[in-house]
Amino acid sequence: MFLARRLVLAHFWVAFVAFTAAIVLGEWQMFVRSPLSAWVGDAEHYYRSVTGHGTVMGYVFPTLVAMGFGYAITELALKQPLIGLRWAWAGFWLAIVGTVMAATPIALGRASVLYTFYPPMIGSPFYYLGIVLVVVGSWIWVALMIVNLRAWKRTNAGKPVPLAMFGNVAGAYLWAWTSVGAAVEILFLILPVALGFKDTIDAGLARVFFSWTLHAIVYFWLMPSYIAFYTIVPRAIGGRLYSDTMGRVAFVLFLVFSMPIGIHHLFADPQLGAGFKFVHAVFTAMVSVPTFLTVFTIVASVEIAARLRGGRGMFGWVKALPWSNPMMLAVTFSFIMLGFGGAGGLINMSFQLNETVHNTQWVTGHFHLIFAGAIVIMYFMIAYDLWPQLTGCRPLSPALVRAQLWLWFLGMMIMTLPWHWVGLLGMPRRMAYFDLSNPAMAGQGWTLVAGTVGGLMLVVSALLFILILARARASDAKASPFSFSTAVHMPATTPVALNGFGLWVAMMIALTVVNYGFPIAQLASLKDTSVPAIFVGGQ
Amino acid sequence: MMQPASMYAWSNRWFRWSVSGLLVFLVVTLLVGFVWLPSVQGDFTAKGIWDGICRAAGAPREWRSPTSSSGAAERTTSVVLTPTMARSGSADATGRGGTLAIQQCSMCHGAQGMSESGAPNLAGQYPEVVAKQLHDYKRGDRSSAIMQALAQKLSDRDILDIASYYDSLPRPKAARMPAEGRGAPALVRSGDPLRNIVPCAACHGASEHKLGAPWLDGMPKGYLIGELRDFASGARRNDSFGQMRNMVRTLTAQELDSVAEFYARREPDDGKR
Repeated sequence: MFLARRLVLAHFWVAFVAFTAAIVLGEWQMFVRSPLSAWVGDAEHYYRSVTGHGTVMGYVFPTLVAMGFGYAITELALKQPLIGLRWAWAGFWLAIVGTVMAATPIALGRASVLYTFYPPMIGSPFYYLGIVLVVVGSWIWVALMIVNLRAWKRTNAGKPVPLAMFGNVAGAYLWAWTSVGAAVEILFLILPVALGFKDTIDAGLARVFFSWTLHAIVYFWLMPSYIAFYTIVPRAIGGRLYSDTMGRVAFVLFLVFSMPIGIHHLFADPQLGAGFKFVHAVFTAMVSVPTFLTVFTIVASVEIAARLRGGRGMFGWVKALPWSNPMMLAVTFSFIMLGFGGAGGLINMSFQLNETVHNTQWVTGHFHLIFAGAIVIMYFMIAYDLWPQLTGCRPLSPALVRAQLWLWFLGMMIMTLPWHWVGLLGMPRRMAYFDLSNPAMAGQGWTLVAGTVGGLMLVVSALLFILILARARASDAKASPFSFSTAVHMPATTPVALNGFGLWVAMMIALTVVNYGFPIAQLASLKDTSVPAIFVGGQ
Repeated sequence: MMQPASMYAWSNRWFRWSVSGLLVFLVVTLLVGFVWLPSVQGDFTAKGIWDGICRAAGAPREWRSPTSSSGAAERTTSVVLTPTMARSGSADATGRGGTLAIQQCSMCHGAQGMSESGAPNLAGQYPEVVAKQLHDYKRGDRSSAIMQALAQKLSDRDILDIASYYDSLPRPKAARMPAEGRGAPALVRSGDPLRNIVPCAACHGASEHKLGAPWLDGMPKGYLIGELRDFASGARRNDSFGQMRNMVRTLTAQELDSVAEFYARREPDDGKR
């Protein structure tokens, strides 16, 4: 009962290989800016590397993981063969062609615009077209997820949709809608300029469209990890999911609240009114609710595991947890990083506090801690957990996995906590070079060294991850059938609102219209707001 | 428990509570953001509550108060640089431009665009650079007794043609003052971030060439120093958005000298665009 095995494996391998290449670029960036190295002497090389790192880590890696995991969930949770296998392969190849098409101009220095595009900078049109192809490939995945769920519902009328699939399709709807912003920006604002039909661009409007994508994309990255929290972690550590309903509520809340909030990335942008910035700040605060619900539910589920193992007392049960189980370790590390990163995020979203940290290394620290830390460490666990199903191997060596997780966690903390600190001191982000010979900056050099050391641990951890997966060999022993977590009370029926998405998708679109409609219409109608494009890479 | 048949029915309490809850939340947020918070800011509500709401929405009913006008003191350049200006002209334009240039420009800028008299070299200069400067002279945005007088008589087409002509001339291989093999000064390579100074090489070649930035290699040192000083003092102000004035304002005399010296000695790169 796992026919899409090769499809899932292909997605995962491409994702992980791209991830490993991009992490090496990241470490090189840390190294050349630190006092450990003489500076490269050419800022363009630095930004070329940042663009490659960001494009792979932001578009290619998480998208392929979400797609691969989504296909796996479809078969494993719905217990029906994946409908549209050929379409799925087509989506995969589109993503591959797109990745190569985007990576080539980056490597040639023709697209050093960073993965957030930053108009009026304009790079090679192939870079943008490549990203469009990756996104179109992922839209095929979105359609397939919806089609597969529909088919299941037809034959299972009235039954609750398995929680893993519910979260998976919530992620698909979220991605479908949030990717529209960047798609509009590329197709209607950037590409006409990159292709030479125009030589000015409305940078302010383009930034607003990108913000449409920029924040909710983070929740698309996060969905696989949250699905793993709810539907894999409790089973893997021998517990029960505390509440199936809470999982559904968290997923639909992400759907509603992660979209209309992107303007909190634009607090310093003059083209937007303060009123909309405030409204977006308030709605950003609301996305912390599903995260708090999740943390509560998963901690409660973990406590159930501990008490089943004989844990006693108010806090004594913590000792009874299966600490040698890599999943236990991973969820702990993930929550610690989510705690620090989330607290930092609440500071970022506060209209006033943001002034202090806007465009500083604090922000770089924040999103690495949340995404590369809390989220990616769960991507590792998803791969480890599915690997026996995918390759027919024996369960992977827990000792190696634990070493890999420790390295990742410590490396990430060592890299990102000093970034937060030095951001408070005002060190700007996106800098190719820091003048550490200046007495005002000299005292901050240690944070760059710490970043390099932490980054090196991350590289080693990533290589170890690849090694563990690559060494897994098929064995004769048949893998035991895959199962998702069992809830304390498995739902016999579910409220119709928590078994489908119509209401929540409608709310997501309505809130987007309210929170983005006016700023976009107003900026689009202003005359003389375009500025000359700045072509990078000597075009 | 009765299962509601439809998701979108008021009888479905999930629908009822989530829709009404979200609406109330949204309305309260909008009221706070657009009415209450602006009400404590004097400049938002000086012209009434509706004006405050418009300002909070980013659409003030008037964009600029009539008292702040752009006076003569703020005058800078009125040329808007667009990438089309960087395209090479036709052979016709180049020929016509050559005729004009030989008659009017070669006395100072040299027959082959290489000056013997301390005027800037123009051979191989980017066309948008020459065109912009001529427009600025013509409109009085850059001052020079000779150049303003000459540019007065040039039509828009003359200017494009002259720019096209100089663009077509080859940059000379050897500079008159050969470089002594010294590395570029730190200011050229990496700027000085703490003074908000970006590397010269980020616009003037080596790392990157930006639209409207001239190539400088082998330019007369005296010319370079003079222009840098004028930017620093504000005597020259035809740089778009004050780019050059902001870069050089905090440079010391030695730094000005070392940068000018570097470019004067640097051999022009033959890798023209």
